[in-house]
Amino acid sequence: MSAYLTKRISYMLIILLAASLLIFSLYALTPGDYISNNIKLSPERKAELREIYGFNKPLMERYGIWMKNAFHGDFGYSLAQQKPVLTLFNEYIWNSFLLASVSTFLTWLIAVIIGVVSAYKQYSWFDTLVMVLIFAAMSLPSFFIGLFLIKVIAVDLKWLPPGGMLTTGSNATGWAYVKEVIRHMTLPVVVMTLLGVGSLTRYFRSNLIDVIKQDYIRTARAKGLKESKVLFRHALRNALLPAITLVGFELPALFGGSLIIEKIFNWPGIGQLYMQSFGLRDYPLLMGFTMLIAILTVIGTLISDVLYHIADPRVRLH
Amino acid sequence: MKKGVYLLTSLLIVGSLLLSACSDQKEAAPSSTNTTQTEQGSKDQPTATPAASPAGESGLSAPYDAADMSKLPAVAKQRTDTIIVGLTDPSGAFTPYFIQSGYDANVNSLLFSSLVTVDEKGLPIPDMAEKWDVSDDQLTYTYHLRKDLKFSDGSPMTADDVAFTWTLLFDKSYDGDSMIPTLPVKGGQAYKEGKAQSIEGIKVIDPLTVSVTLEKPNATALVMLGDKVLSKAYYGKDYKFGQLEYIKKLHSNPVGNGPYKLEKFIPGQEVRFVANENYFKGKPKTEHFIYKTSEGDTWQYLETGEVDYASFSATTENIDKLKSLGFVNIIPYTPSTYGYLQVNLEHEALKDKKVRQALAYGLDRQSIYVDANQGAGAVANIPSSPISWAYTEDGINPYKFDTEKAKQLLDEAGWKEGAGGIREKDGKQLVIHYLGSKSKQTDIFIAVAKENFQAMGVKFEPEVFADFNSLVSKVEGGDYDLVSFSTPMLTDPSDGLVQFVDGEIKGYDNPKVKELYDKGLATSDIEERKKVYKEIFQLLNDELPIIFTSYKKTVYGYNGRIENLAVSPFVGLANSLPDWSLKPAQ
Repeated sequence: MSAYLTKRISYMLIILLAASLLIFSLYALTPGDYISNNIKLSPERKAELREIYGFNKPLMERYGIWMKNAFHGDFGYSLAQQKPVLTLFNEYIWNSFLLASVSTFLTWLIAVIIGVVSAYKQYSWFDTLVMVLIFAAMSLPSFFIGLFLIKVIAVDLKWLPPGGMLTTGSNATGWAYVKEVIRHMTLPVVVMTLLGVGSLTRYFRSNLIDVIKQDYIRTARAKGLKESKVLFRHALRNALLPAITLVGFELPALFGGSLIIEKIFNWPGIGQLYMQSFGLRDYPLLMGFTMLIAILTVIGTLISDVLYHIADPRVRLH
Repeated sequence: MKKGVYLLTSLLIVGSLLLSACSDQKEAAPSSTNTTQTEQGSKDQPTATPAASPAGESGLSAPYDAADMSKLPAVAKQRTDTIIVGLTDPSGAFTPYFIQSGYDANVNSLLFSSLVTVDEKGLPIPDMAEKWDVSDDQLTYTYHLRKDLKFSDGSPMTADDVAFTWTLLFDKSYDGDSMIPTLPVKGGQAYKEGKAQSIEGIKVIDPLTVSVTLEKPNATALVMLGDKVLSKAYYGKDYKFGQLEYIKKLHSNPVGNGPYKLEKFIPGQEVRFVANENYFKGKPKTEHFIYKTSEGDTWQYLETGEVDYASFSATTENIDKLKSLGFVNIIPYTPSTYGYLQVNLEHEALKDKKVRQALAYGLDRQSIYVDANQGAGAVANIPSSPISWAYTEDGINPYKFDTEKAKQLLDEAGWKEGAGGIREKDGKQLVIHYLGSKSKQTDIFIAVAKENFQAMGVKFEPEVFADFNSLVSKVEGGDYDLVSFSTPMLTDPSDGLVQFVDGEIKGYDNPKVKELYDKGLATSDIEERKKVYKEIFQLLNDELPIIFTSYKKTVYGYNGRIENLAVSPFVGLANSLPDWSLKPAQ
């Protein structure tokens, strides 16, 4: 195991190094830069600023500088936000994480329950109804459903706030603060769950259907085990195995923020910040954030491989 | 009451978006633009309505008062000492001159006052400087500060702080976008190059008097230099020439002299302010003010009472909806900007004035910018906003939509109809490659322009960009014929002319324009300047180095409980904010 880990980690480092070069080049080659955005600057002033920011240096030199600083733990200073990139991450990422973790948890929970029931009662009216609803939910554009809920629930019925994370001007602390955040996150979480639950339910349902047809299920039933035991101990555990792969992929999503949902619900998350920064070509922030996602992705796949091994001894790690 | 003005328009400009409606403004500056705008004095309705726009077409020509305050949402009723306004994206770095967006400029305009501000016509009026003198040769400006000015930390503000602020901007590592370093301040260049210990032209005469000498007259200098003042004790404590890194640490804890102090910044959510008891005009009437991070034109926050003030494009639909809410007052407003089509003057066909004029005649600007926008716009024909004191229509060709005239001009220019109805000259087809940012306005433009160009016999190839930065770099690369832009907020009439003289419009080099531009800056006499600008406007209106398109019209909707609200086209709400008060809810 430890030999395996050493090997995996050294591959990861090489992958990350290559990724950083690629990402850096892509951002540097995107048309326009941070300066060209400011329409009020004269051509001379633009040239002066490019000099100050080092945008006129050769690409490899810029990359070298960035890497050197990154190795010293300095991921740069956001040009637009005027703060160190890591500070900004710390200010925004946890808000995104809160939304993503709650909605991911709910998505998995609901998907497993519905998946099991509809697989067990395949082709029943429940199964058909759920599948229709799930396809409907999956096909809704997130901005539409988001705005629709804001209109109905927040504006017309005034049950929940239309956006943000806190009531403006609120000084709530402790439990009151928690309640306030919960009220504000309800709508975005509902939308995210609604959109995510469809594909996952389909996934669990079909996995379980496959498993239920296996010989060992028939054997279990033939032994006279209780149906619930057959279903949950024998069938479900095996049906969930392939889902472990998905867990690894969820990791970057937990921290990456959701561009559209955060925008619609005015949620102070990293997704919105990233979008703005892209429009502005705020290189340090873009670079730092993309690298963070790259790192999480690589770690995520490692975790899922290891988990797979733990959950299913048949899987060998090489 | 006006405070923070700034010629700096710029800052605001760019930024100004904030409050305003952004959507269409994207046309030009994505992030920017919005402007702060203003309405032109709310109470006495405009003058402003540009004649070019059939007056009265926009649905609202005078302020409208809320009809049914009982509809005010409970959230908004409960507030007693807090006013909330939406602001797209304040960053948390609030040091004047170092800010990177117009949103931060809006925040700044509450935290810092200026020496000189401008009235609703854009003319200078005293703020922290009670008066000023301009020497007879128009080179030396002397500012006389009010007595007993204080920073928000209680420390006194003197002429030394003013001199320090100006000096700092000439540092070689200054990376902000203030226009002050572009002024020909005597000794400024020497200081920037490290050849002098201080700037020769800046003199502190006594604690309340400071003067600055220019090498060349510049009528915008008075307001530009009369901008915000940084505390030397706070922002200059660690200053060494060439090293401004230290100031970054101070961005999040501003020490100002404006009506409000920063109470708390919550990233991505709110900027909270509390009234500054040291404000020189007295503590503002409303104790708390909040800029809530949200798009400037999002309905849901106004409808639910989460914000008290929002701006929208002045379409009939928006105005009707605002009226139907019952609890909002509405004021009309024309931003101090103009929209235009930049023309690639390095392309053979477009070098010809007649071709450019033909395009101006042949484009149905009335339909594109006014009618299709439900009246939320007006046609522009000169590089000045209709609310500027320099605005004129005297001797200005309105280029009224006239396809026949356009065809005739193209014929005269030698472009004759060829195969497929497309005009040709020397075997080359007349093709117009148009670039626009993704927006509703661009969609309308393309739809109408396509027909217009076809009628003229011109091949039209539109290209739309979702990303403003990509569009700009394509323009910089010269791969276009026409591109839609809109200016940042213009304070002085010369602001709208800079692009004709600083080489920004490649291929345009008219010594006459440069001469007149300098002449317009050489005197501070308004009447004198009006004459000069009229001449320039007439000249540019005839030559059309760019094709003028439109002015925007917006409306502000705000909670009917707020009293004394006014928005200036040049300084946004900063000037009237200290007087805003909330009357008791019904």
